[in-house]
Amino acid sequence: MIHIEGATKRFGANTILDGIDLRVAPGEVVSILGPSGSGKSTLIRCINGLERLDGGFISVDGHRVDDPKGLQLARRCSGTVFQLFNLYPHMTALQNVTLAPIEVLKTPRARAEQEGRELLASVGLAERADTYPAQLSGGQRQRVGICRALAMKPRYLLLDEVTSALDPEMTGEVLAILARLAAGGTTMLFVTHEIEFARQISQRIVFLDGGKLVADLSTARFFAADGGLAQPRIAQFLSKMTK
Amino acid sequence: MQFDLTSLVPYFGDLAAGARLTALACALALAGSLVLGVLVALMRTAASPLARRAAGVYVDVFRNVPFIVQLFFLFYGLPEVGIELSAFATGVLALSLAGGAFTSDTIRAGILAIEPGVLEAAQVSGLSRFALYRRIVLPIALRSAVRPLGSVFVNLILTSSILSAITLNELTGSAKIVAADTFQPFEVYALLLLLYAVLTWLVSLSAGALHRRLNREQI
Amino acid sequence: MRYADFTAHDLLLLLQGLGVSLALFAATTAIGLAIGLVWAALRYYRVPLLAALAALLAELLKNSPVLVQLFLVFFGLPVLLETDLTPVQAALITLSGNTAAFVYVIAVSAIEAVGRDQLETARVFGLSRWQTLRRIVAPQAAAFALGPLAGLLVNQLQVTSLISVIGVVDLTKVGAILNLRTLKPFIVWTVIGLLYYLAARLIAGACARLETRLRAHREWKGL
Repeated sequence: MIHIEGATKRFGANTILDGIDLRVAPGEVVSILGPSGSGKSTLIRCINGLERLDGGFISVDGHRVDDPKGLQLARRCSGTVFQLFNLYPHMTALQNVTLAPIEVLKTPRARAEQEGRELLASVGLAERADTYPAQLSGGQRQRVGICRALAMKPRYLLLDEVTSALDPEMTGEVLAILARLAAGGTTMLFVTHEIEFARQISQRIVFLDGGKLVADLSTARFFAADGGLAQPRIAQFLSKMTK
Repeated sequence: MQFDLTSLVPYFGDLAAGARLTALACALALAGSLVLGVLVALMRTAASPLARRAAGVYVDVFRNVPFIVQLFFLFYGLPEVGIELSAFATGVLALSLAGGAFTSDTIRAGILAIEPGVLEAAQVSGLSRFALYRRIVLPIALRSAVRPLGSVFVNLILTSSILSAITLNELTGSAKIVAADTFQPFEVYALLLLLYAVLTWLVSLSAGALHRRLNREQI
Repeated sequence: MRYADFTAHDLLLLLQGLGVSLALFAATTAIGLAIGLVWAALRYYRVPLLAALAALLAELLKNSPVLVQLFLVFFGLPVLLETDLTPVQAALITLSGNTAAFVYVIAVSAIEAVGRDQLETARVFGLSRWQTLRRIVAPQAAAFALGPLAGLLVNQLQVTSLISVIGVVDLTKVGAILNLRTLKPFIVWTVIGLLYYLAARLIAGACARLETRLRAHREWKGL
């Protein structure tokens, strides 16, 4: 379980996260929605240890992320996919995918490459395994990014606005893969602006506004007129986003 | 006014020997500079303020003191503390120390130019610090540093001529002897000038070619 | 009898040596700047033969060791031209030429950094090449060139140390003299190194202050 309690994060005078409490159990698919600047990405970055909390704590499967050893273990059971892909430019798609399994899990190269090729094939990139990121389209790069995260066989997949940098066509192909993963039982926590997509594949929606957790409801409740939509802030947000 | 290169022909052997010595000294010094440069660059981008400070001082000193003074310091000073090195070894040491300061600059620039997102992706995948540097930071930084490193190597070759001041018979040192023997200093030094210019031009070309080769996948 | 210890007179020697080094540095920087800018102007105006010659000469001077250039001028020229040349004269000629070559390169890239479209705009408005150079290109190019020029100056100060090899009694030569007499290389060369270091810092500091002064001038102060 990802256990977030009282998470607080400040950047100078701004409080980006203000006492967030959230739990994500294995197998759940949870979307985090909210206006820009509400702290969504920061929350993800605190879970995988790229940012440090100023208050409260986060633990992944019991490993505290504010402890160096704990963070190491937490990172082993989680994988992150980034908005800007962040592929290693000097390595092929396959090498991107197999680097962590070889270096961290000590998987033998041959097996890592075989599993890597299978992963890439499952997202339709079998023939692109030996190409470099510079020669791939945005959608293809993001698919490699997803494979790279999955190669570590993580229990939890963290996705930080992974389609925001893609055009509509490429967005579609990536969302299809994510839908497949969600249906297959992968635990996913994702930050997104794709409201329709969130509605379709998540079981739970969390709404952040100004650093505070305003709502944590099942998807059905969230979009119900007497549930999430009853809250003015949420209604306002949804009407703007779904124009 | 006379300009006669033909009388120098019998001395080409001596000049070639000098050139070989220059090449050897510079190759060794390049290796030394790279090793030192990577170390210092890592120190300068480290989290520890002490490491950054120490590395900063080293670079500062070696960039603001003339090479010949550094050379004399080592050549005359080391025997005083019981370290007896040949002129060749002292020269290579001095070149490596000075070269290290300059290569650390280019490698540091290469490290700082790495996109932070790429480093973050590597961090969250659980890579150890050693693996991070070995597989991500250094390969990327060195790829972008090839051209500037070429300039540093060119500089090294030009600076190596100063080794003639500690009685080493590299290219310039040999040329001095030839000039004394032939009483034709103008021809000898003009030829020498051209030789160095051609040599450094070749190095620059190679650096460019190497850069293109290493970066072909990223263009 | 030999004075193997340091005396007060040595301080005077050091100052004299430093003075010689700095004087030659200042003179060759000034001359080198002038020549280098002329070469850059030749290229800007695309003067047929001279621009190419200047470029070739600059390449040669940039890519060969200063020591060899010094030997060529000091030992070679007198034989070629059948005249005499003092070490100081040879040093002046060589270092000025060497500085000019680097100034040329910096100036050319600074002019190019200003951007072709500005040149074209000026042309369309009917400005002559000279007016364009004076009013549009030069001020902006100067701003681009300041950083690299500061680095060049610090470097050329180090380069002056080589004139000791052809006999000029500069700071390095004084160091050699003191080293030979006192046989205390650690003290001697550390002091020499320190003096060069301080001089280099002073020059770098002066350039930095000049740069901020010029920048301040160009910033818009508001209504």
